[in-house]
Amino acid sequence: MISTGNDIVALGSINKQRTCEPRFYSKILSVVEQQLYHQPELAALPFENYIWLLWSVKESAFKYLKRNNHQLVFSPVKINVLTVHAHPDQHYSGSLRFEQDNLFFRSIITNDWISTVVNEDDNFEYIFNDVQQIEHNDYQHQSAAVRKFALDKLNTFFEGEFKLEKSELSLPVLMRDGELVNTPVSLSHDGYFVACSFNFNPTVQ
Amino acid sequence: MNRNTVLIELKKVLAPYTENKELLNGITEETDLMKDLKINSANLVDIIIDAESAYNIEIDFDSAEKMYLVGNCIDVILDKMNQSA
Repeated sequence: MISTGNDIVALGSINKQRTCEPRFYSKILSVVEQQLYHQPELAALPFENYIWLLWSVKESAFKYLKRNNHQLVFSPVKINVLTVHAHPDQHYSGSLRFEQDNLFFRSIITNDWISTVVNEDDNFEYIFNDVQQIEHNDYQHQSAAVRKFALDKLNTFFEGEFKLEKSELSLPVLMRDGELVNTPVSLSHDGYFVACSFNFNPTVQ
Repeated sequence: MNRNTVLIELKKVLAPYTENKELLNGITEETDLMKDLKINSANLVDIIIDAESAYNIEIDFDSAEKMYLVGNCIDVILDKMNQSA
């Protein structure tokens, strides 16, 4: 199963106090995931950022899996984050499982956002994920901006006239010169930020 | 409480997370929270918690994942209210 799934969380949009209330985070994190936070390598990560980091991992995984499991419904606590590792410069990685599927993630946390992309392999050589700040935070602007961002990025790699259309499941699909391109795309937006990911694995070109 | 009363209260719960108030005023049981009202998925937990407070109920994980259409939300809320009655 080759797909892609990404997510972005605008940290300016979150309610820190509410996020840290047990009745809020217990609807996102399992008890095991709550315990995972207490490992020494995550000591510098604020709890609210940890919660939204795992949210972005789960949302990315849902988008990844939805492409091949059309009936899937997003239920954060049913996607289990197994490991979380901290790396220099606020980079994070880890693994997760949903039923029979095992996935891996890469995340970056800045002062403004959390960005995550997931992959079925722990090797992200062919995975592209990037973030852009935008001028307005209304839905229409976000939606147009993330599509333009993704197409501009594609045009830096490939020639041809690319377009993004929606599948019957509302998933983005890529067209080049009027034909479907077998490169999975994922788009996300939150607040003043948009992000896109592509899976450029040559086996799907 | 009947379905229409729950719907009226539900509009108040959804209002802080819905950009387009005109769309919100016109919601029906078939309205999709994310696709139609453009509610950010990151706000779904807020909506569940606000609904729990508004109706004095507790919404479990299995019920929460059904709450993507307005009609499903009303089903879950009425079900939980009946359980706690």
